[in-house]
Amino acid sequence: MIRLSGTKHLLGHRLWIKDFPKPTKQIEIPYLIVGGGISGLSAARQFQKKGISDFLVVELENHLGGNSSNGENKYSKYPLGAHYLPLPNFQDKELLQFLEEEKIILGYNEKGFPIFDELQLTFAPDERLFYKNNWQEGVVPKEGNLISDDLEFEKFFKQMDVFRSGKGEDQKYLFDIPIYLSSKDEKTRALDKITMKQWFQNNHFTSEPLFNYIDYCCKDDFGLGIEYVSAWAGIHYFAGRKQDSTPEKHDSVLTWAEGNARLATHLKKYTEDKSLKNHLVYEVKIENNKVIAKAFDDATNTSLEIIADKVIMASPQFVNQYLIKDRKAFTKDFHYTPWLLATLVVNDLSENYSFPLSWDNVIYDAKGLGYVYDQHQTVNQVQDKKVITYYYSFSSGDLKKTRKELYKKDKEYWKQFVLNDLKIAHPDIEEYTEDIEVFLLGHGMISPAPGFIFGEAKKQAKQNIQKKIYFAHTDLSGISIFEEAFHQGINVVNEILDGTTVDS
Amino acid sequence: MGKKFLRFEFLLLFAVFIIATCGLIYELVAGTLASYLLGDSVKQFSFIIGVYLFSMGIGSFFSKFFHKNLLNTFVEIEILVGLIGGLSSVVLFLLFESVGSFQFILYLFVFVTGFLVGLEIPLLMNILKDRVEFKDLVSNVFTFDYIGALLASILFPLVLVPKLGIMGTSLFFGMINVSIAIVLCFLLKRELKKVYFLKMKAIFSFVLLLGVFVFSNDILAYSEGKLYGENIIYTNSTPYQRIVLTHNKSDYRLYLNNNLQFSSADEYRYHEALVHPVMSMAKSVKHILVLGGGDGLAVREILKYKDVEKVTLVDLDEGMTKLFKTNTVLTNFNQNSLNNPKVTVINTDAYIWAKSCKEKYDVAIIDFPDPSNYSLGKLYSLNFYQTIKTILQPDAAVVIQTTSPYFAPKSFWCINKTVMQVFPQVDAYHAYVPSFGEWGYTIAINGFGTTFNSVNRKADKLKFYNYQFDRFNYFTNDMISNQVEINRLDNQILVRYFDEEWGKLQ
Repeated sequence: MIRLSGTKHLLGHRLWIKDFPKPTKQIEIPYLIVGGGISGLSAARQFQKKGISDFLVVELENHLGGNSSNGENKYSKYPLGAHYLPLPNFQDKELLQFLEEEKIILGYNEKGFPIFDELQLTFAPDERLFYKNNWQEGVVPKEGNLISDDLEFEKFFKQMDVFRSGKGEDQKYLFDIPIYLSSKDEKTRALDKITMKQWFQNNHFTSEPLFNYIDYCCKDDFGLGIEYVSAWAGIHYFAGRKQDSTPEKHDSVLTWAEGNARLATHLKKYTEDKSLKNHLVYEVKIENNKVIAKAFDDATNTSLEIIADKVIMASPQFVNQYLIKDRKAFTKDFHYTPWLLATLVVNDLSENYSFPLSWDNVIYDAKGLGYVYDQHQTVNQVQDKKVITYYYSFSSGDLKKTRKELYKKDKEYWKQFVLNDLKIAHPDIEEYTEDIEVFLLGHGMISPAPGFIFGEAKKQAKQNIQKKIYFAHTDLSGISIFEEAFHQGINVVNEILDGTTVDS
Repeated sequence: MGKKFLRFEFLLLFAVFIIATCGLIYELVAGTLASYLLGDSVKQFSFIIGVYLFSMGIGSFFSKFFHKNLLNTFVEIEILVGLIGGLSSVVLFLLFESVGSFQFILYLFVFVTGFLVGLEIPLLMNILKDRVEFKDLVSNVFTFDYIGALLASILFPLVLVPKLGIMGTSLFFGMINVSIAIVLCFLLKRELKKVYFLKMKAIFSFVLLLGVFVFSNDILAYSEGKLYGENIIYTNSTPYQRIVLTHNKSDYRLYLNNNLQFSSADEYRYHEALVHPVMSMAKSVKHILVLGGGDGLAVREILKYKDVEKVTLVDLDEGMTKLFKTNTVLTNFNQNSLNNPKVTVINTDAYIWAKSCKEKYDVAIIDFPDPSNYSLGKLYSLNFYQTIKTILQPDAAVVIQTTSPYFAPKSFWCINKTVMQVFPQVDAYHAYVPSFGEWGYTIAINGFGTTFNSVNRKADKLKFYNYQFDRFNYFTNDMISNQVEINRLDNQILVRYFDEEWGKLQ
């Protein structure tokens, strides 16, 4: 069986013509949050922390969570987007605090390191790579490299170590999370002007396995591959995470069968009875010192008017440009990579017994990013059926064109596409596949193409409008990761309440 | 006429020779099979020979009721003996699984074969009585009969069993039996009636035996016999594991996925050492938990204590616990412990079960397979032991089979160190089990209300454990490893240690 679904792009696209009925209802609320993704949910949490509970979250989809959503079948939950959180940087006290509140951190040991819940850290074995017809441990190609490849890997990782610990004259990390904390060091920021591929060549790297590995990493976090992504962003992938919150095994991640939907669920409790789902906000404007937001309810085919003192636009800029006037000029610099996720139920996964099924299973030189074994975080001995989720990002130089093509293809096409890619490592997967659900995200995530992270467009988009309309979204950070969204939400509430602002 | 008659007589006497050989072979096969599967070879052989000879007598008695078409009847019986005798061992092997009625079926086979062979000789004498002088007839028939018997009894142990195996031998002689019938059909076509019909029956039987011969010989008798170097008497693949039971002399061995689970000769050492220390130290032993241990051997030891009110055994594999509840050989080993009214068997995943368990236990005996893969490794993780702690009474005692401290010291002490993170009192001990080697256990007490040297109760008539715990917890230097990490779900370091240490030995 095969199913094709995705974010509500058809409803979203009605923003182009705005053929919505006139509002028949009015709501008044001091604070309105538009968008129930992690940025919006984090803002809701921050409001509650500050003792404010008179806010409302309006969301287009029938559930909150945004990219941190999930599906579920008979055998397992599975992610419909982001699916893990790397161990936070030790300096990120707010995130540590959140993880402690949600019992992901159980306490701190005598040396001051957080104790993470064993059940929420990725179980071993966490990663494997199908390379030269064998599964090997880890995602870095090792067995079967030339000596020159190994030397380049070594040199590359040493350089990344330098970037990771490096600080600028302002005593800030060259690469930090959230990004706005990073140093203003000119030389480092100049890396945002070139692509990661140019940086690779400028540093005289030639190794093909290294090139492929970096390409995989960039796509994994940003959707864009080595040829299109900014070098600053590419290096940030390796250098932004300080790997300093545990004494051992530095690159662990936290994960759940449903992916980051688990984190969204933790945040959702702050929005109980304060959210409006299935509502598309189609216009936001300031009138008589108030903000008027109009929203369309798809279920009842009616519209309503929400009158608020302040509004947080926790929605992406490609949407905001249709809601608020005068935003199209800088929004054209925001590019979003489409993603495809496919969750398969398989009777068996033929193995060649080289390295066992892991949480993250990457296939070298495949089109996609491999697959995640969704039942990995269970303590069972055996599973009747296995549930895996395949990831593919549409990395290209012309994302608009790619997106148009995406919606033209039918589900049979995508099914074959996914199966053919998996067949590299599992030649007989098609016979074993019982069910496949393809999920398309037209605007999967913000893409840090060269010049975007430290560019003008982002800075302008971030500006509040008359201290009435505020903006919080990962596209204003430049990279789409949980930590950025989490801080976007916190910072925007602080900005509203205290008048504090952070650099972009 | 004389020449033709000679051929007729010679043919039938040759048939006698073959019948005698085959008959004795079937008897030997049944005897061997019975002693393989049920043990006690003197008794089995004696009974089988007795029943066989007796049923031959019955057959002889009934031969007088045959009057017409004697030659046809003779050929028909020949085919029938070949078919039944030939397939006997295969059927017995397969039926051993539902062993409740196994002995009945075994003796039924012996009886039917003996009966048919017993029919044949008098029948043959009746056929020939008008053609041959009586004293020649008697002497010739019995001469060939006894020569055949001698040949069979010499060939059987020296050539047949070593080359063909038990199954192969009986099938092979079944085919010889039937081919005699085929030859007779062709050569005596004028004397026989409805010869076409007989021929078809004979050929069909031959093909059937040949088919089974080719198939079974390959799969059962040969490949697994070679793998284990012992006689396989039972195999079963459950969804979780392959169970193989072998028998050699007086020793039965059970293998799970080709790993030795126990040897009947010395399992008492392993199970006494597993069960009695915790049972004697625990504050109370009313409610006992066993995780793994689907063979019921640990439960057998637990039930030696009268204070025990309830035993809960959680084993993933229903195939395994069912086998140890029903198979008479195996219920002999565990003294039918799994059918004891105090015992509840739950077939589910122990980890999942423990997470939702609401009861609290006085003693937990954890007897899982060695941590040879990442799935099994979870059952030795910090989180698992933390989970177990939540279902224990204060001062409950826990024991964990912890692989061999001699072959795998890092694995052994890794588990020990992991358990130390969870329980206030933790120790380790070991016992020598000849079929395993030096084997070890981790023991813990969930509180300070009792100690490892406490002996709060004893069971009678133990063969191995003497309730002097301090004789078992001393480790020589070659069984110690200090540099080990804690096994957690996110590092599964134990599986790596185990692979490294046992990998060296394979």
